[in-house]
Amino acid sequence: MDYFLNQLINGICQGAIYALMAIGYSVVVGVVGMVTFTHGEVIMIGAFAAYYMFFLSGNQILLGLIVSFIASWILGYFVYKVCYERFFNAPRHVSLLCTIGFSMLIKNLAQIIFGPNQKPMLDVVQQNFFKIGVVQISQLQIVIIITVVIMASLLSMIFNRTKFGVMLKAVSQDKTASYLVGIDVKRIAMLGNSLGCGLGGIAGLLLAIYYQTLQATMGGPLGMKAFASSVLGGLTDVRFSALGGLCIGIIENLGITVSSASFRDMFAFGFLILVLVIRPQGFVSKKGAKV
Amino acid sequence: MKRDSDYKEKTTLATIIATCKTTNIARVVKYFVTKYQPLVLIAVVLFLSVIPLFTNKSYVLGVFCRIFLYSILAGSLNTINGYSGQFCLGVAGFFCVGAYSEAILSTAVKMNFWFILPIAGLITAVIGLFVALPTLKMQGIYLAIVTLGFSEIARLVALNWTSLTGGPMGIKGIPVPEIFGFSIRTAKHFYYLYLIMAILFLFVTSRVVRSRIGRAWMSIREDQLAAKSLGVFTSRYKALNFMYGAFWAGIAGAIYAPYVRFIDSTYFTLDEGWNILSMMIIGGQGTLIGPVVGSVIVNYLTELLRPIGQWRLVAYALLIIVMMWWRPQGLAGASNSIVAVKGDTHLRKKTAAKGVGV
Repeated sequence: MDYFLNQLINGICQGAIYALMAIGYSVVVGVVGMVTFTHGEVIMIGAFAAYYMFFLSGNQILLGLIVSFIASWILGYFVYKVCYERFFNAPRHVSLLCTIGFSMLIKNLAQIIFGPNQKPMLDVVQQNFFKIGVVQISQLQIVIIITVVIMASLLSMIFNRTKFGVMLKAVSQDKTASYLVGIDVKRIAMLGNSLGCGLGGIAGLLLAIYYQTLQATMGGPLGMKAFASSVLGGLTDVRFSALGGLCIGIIENLGITVSSASFRDMFAFGFLILVLVIRPQGFVSKKGAKV
Repeated sequence: MKRDSDYKEKTTLATIIATCKTTNIARVVKYFVTKYQPLVLIAVVLFLSVIPLFTNKSYVLGVFCRIFLYSILAGSLNTINGYSGQFCLGVAGFFCVGAYSEAILSTAVKMNFWFILPIAGLITAVIGLFVALPTLKMQGIYLAIVTLGFSEIARLVALNWTSLTGGPMGIKGIPVPEIFGFSIRTAKHFYYLYLIMAILFLFVTSRVVRSRIGRAWMSIREDQLAAKSLGVFTSRYKALNFMYGAFWAGIAGAIYAPYVRFIDSTYFTLDEGWNILSMMIIGGQGTLIGPVVGSVIVNYLTELLRPIGQWRLVAYALLIIVMMWWRPQGLAGASNSIVAVKGDTHLRKKTAAKGVGV
C-alpha cells in the first residue's frame, strides 16, 4: 500500500509534466487546426537548450526555463513556416506528412549535433525528501508541480485577460469568423503555434530534470503521449487536455506497480487505444475547431 | 518589318521550346511504356532474372533483395494509404508480427516454410483487422495514431515477452526454406525468392485494384461520403483494405526472417516505419509502380550515402518535405486523384477574396 501511494505521487508528478506537454499540444492543434507530429522534437529541443544553459550558467533554473521556452518558440516558428503556412487549404494528410518529415529532420540533426548517447542532466534541484506519513515526496517533485501550476495559470491568464488570448481563442473556434472581425489569422496561428511549442519546451526541461537524463531520440514517445493526453481532452480543450495528461501519468505509474517498468509506454498507448475505442471524442464533446 | 521578324523569331523559339517540352525523354519513355506495356514488363523481368548470372557478389544481390523486400512493404502500405486514403503509420508493426510468426512457427513448431508463409500473412491480417475495427468510424488522424501506437506496442511485446520471442536475445537459428529438398540459402537463391514474391505481390495487387474491390477503395479515397451514398460499404471495404495491406506486410516479414536467420526487436523500430513511409511518399502514392520507384531510390541512396551515416536520414526527411511542398503524390504517384492536391498554391486564387486559409 505504501508503494502504491508513492507510485501515485510519482504518477501525479509525471502527469503534471504530461499535462504541460498536452496543454502546449492542444494550443497548437486548436490554433493551427492541424495535427502535428513535431511536438516530441520540440520537447527534446527544449530539454537540450536547458541542458546547455545549465552547463554555461551554473544551476539557474529560471534562466533554464526562459531559454528552453525561447528555443522551442523559435523551433515552433520554423515548424509553422515549413509545415503549416502553405497547407491551410490542402488535404490534411499533406501537412501531417510534412510534420513527420520535419520531425525526422530535427531528430536526426539533433543526433548529429548533440550525439546519439544519453546525457546525464545536471543536478539543478537538491534531492531532499519530505515524509508525510508513509508517503515521501522529493523537493524536485514539488518544484515540478509548482512550475506546471504556475505555467498553467499564466496561460489561463493570457487566455482570459489579454486581447492576444481572446484572439487565440477566436481563431481556435472559427477561422473564417475571426478573419471577418479583423483578426490576422495567419499571424495569430503562427504566434499560437510558437506559444504551444514554448510550453512543450518547458515540459522538456522538467522531464529532463525529473529523469536526470536526456537523449536526442527522447521525443518520439513523448510526442505521442502529448497527443494521447490531448485526445482525452477532445484535442483542442486546454483544461481537459491537462486533466488527460494527469490521467496518463497516473495510469503509467500505477501500471508499473502491477508489472515491470519496461511496459511503461505500453500502458500509455494501450490506454489511448482504449479511450479511442470507448470514447473517441474525449472527456467532453465540444463544438469548435474540428481536426 | 523588323517587328515582324522579331515576332516570328519569338514564335519559332516558343515552338521549339514547346516541342522540346512535349518530346522530352520522360514523355517518350512514358509513351513507349504505356503502348508496349506487356513487352516492357517481360523485358524488365527477364533483365532482373538474369542479373545473378553476371554478378555473384552477395553485396549487390543483397541490395537487390532489399529493394524487392521494401517494394512489397512500401506497396502494402500504399494499398492502405495510397489506394483507400486511410492513414496507416504502423507498417513496421505488421512487418514485426509477420517476421516473429515465421520465426516462432519455424523454430518452436518446426513447420514447413511454405505452410508458414500464408499462415504468417493471415495472422498479420487478423491483427490488422483488430487494429482497424475500432477506428473505422474515425477520421484519418486517429487511425494514424492508433497504428503508430500498435507498431510500438508490437515492438515492446516482442522485446518483453521473453518466453515466446526470446526478448532482447531475439530468435536465433531460423531454418532456411526448402523446396523439393533444395534449400534456399545463398544470396542468389534469396534473390530469386524475393523477386518472385515481389512479382507475385505486384500481380495480385494489380488484379485487386482493378477489380470491384479496388474501385471501391479508390472511391473511398476520393470522397467517402459520395462513395457511401452510391452504395459502397465503406467500413467493410476499409477493414478489407487494412487486412490486405497487413497480409502482405506479414508476408514480407515472413520472407525476411529466414533471410537474416536471426531477428530481434531492434529491426522493427519506429524508424523502420518512417523508412518505409518515406519510400512510399518519395516514390508515389496510389499507383503500383510508385512504391517500387521509392524503394529503388531510397535503397540506392542508402548505399550511396552510407559513408556519411546519419546524414542520409536527414536527406530522406528533406526529400519528404520537398515532396510535400511541390509534388505531394510523389514521383510516380496518381496525378489525377486527391493525393495529388497541393497546398495553397493552386487554391490561392479561389480563396484570395476570402483571405484566410480555412
